[in-house]
Amino acid sequence: MRVRCGKGRTVMSSTTGSGTFGTTHVALLDLAEQRMAWTEQRQSVLAQNIANADTPGWQARDLSPFAAHLAAAGAAAPAGELAQTSPMHLAAPGGDAAHPATRLAERAPDGNAVSLDKELTRIAETETAHDLASDLYRKYLGLFRTAIGR
Amino acid sequence: MDMNKALTISAAGLDAQTTRLRIIAENLANQDTTGSTPGAEPYRRKTVTFSNEMDRTLGVPTVHVRKVGKDKGDLPLRYDPGHPAADARGYVRTPNVNSFVEMMDMREAQRSYNANLSVMQITRGMLSRTIDMLK
Repeated sequence: MRVRCGKGRTVMSSTTGSGTFGTTHVALLDLAEQRMAWTEQRQSVLAQNIANADTPGWQARDLSPFAAHLAAAGAAAPAGELAQTSPMHLAAPGGDAAHPATRLAERAPDGNAVSLDKELTRIAETETAHDLASDLYRKYLGLFRTAIGR
Repeated sequence: MDMNKALTISAAGLDAQTTRLRIIAENLANQDTTGSTPGAEPYRRKTVTFSNEMDRTLGVPTVHVRKVGKDKGDLPLRYDPGHPAADARGYVRTPNVNSFVEMMDMREAQRSYNANLSVMQITRGMLSRTIDMLK
């Protein structure tokens, strides 16, 4: 995908190779949007880990990193995942793409393997990522506002 | 929306930990509750177990208190012949509540509660930042 800047220069952007690029699609805004959607989803997966910090047998879950998510976007949904063709359908248990985290954690005698501190650190990380994405989005929109003189 | 799901999940976590704290309070309040007839069963320590269940209205699995059970551990005996619950040999069966265990459990419940609460606060912060983008 290319972003056309003034004076005929083109700048390669790092978004997905998906779809058409019209005037309504701005690569950076698209990227920020995807990033925010990912952080929101990750937040709910991590919230589950915290809520189940005392549930016997619960193992921490996580999403795949954003880079991997971005690389997979645009491609067809991987086989083996449940497709939700209607909002009435139940979501796949454990979230859409959440998988058991491969990170090692101490396992309690009841089989629970959630480290509260580590999960909270990840939540803070996710929050920072979301803040960054939303700030960039705002700043970029601000540039447009300046351009149209408001 | 995922943010609302995260809030629901954390709210369920808070609810579960509140129930746990209530049970701990019951245990501590009843740590001297004995029977009133000879050889009667005193208060038995209550236990809480959690499980993750599907919330069908929201389509997210949330944590719930699965069962409030009773601790089947031994009841300590205390020699007190004058007590109304004393058996023929003069021993009274006392509750199997250990206040130190309950205190530790309380701390753990508090820690889990705080963790859920901070997830909620962070999620709300993220949500309000997203809404701020409209301004």
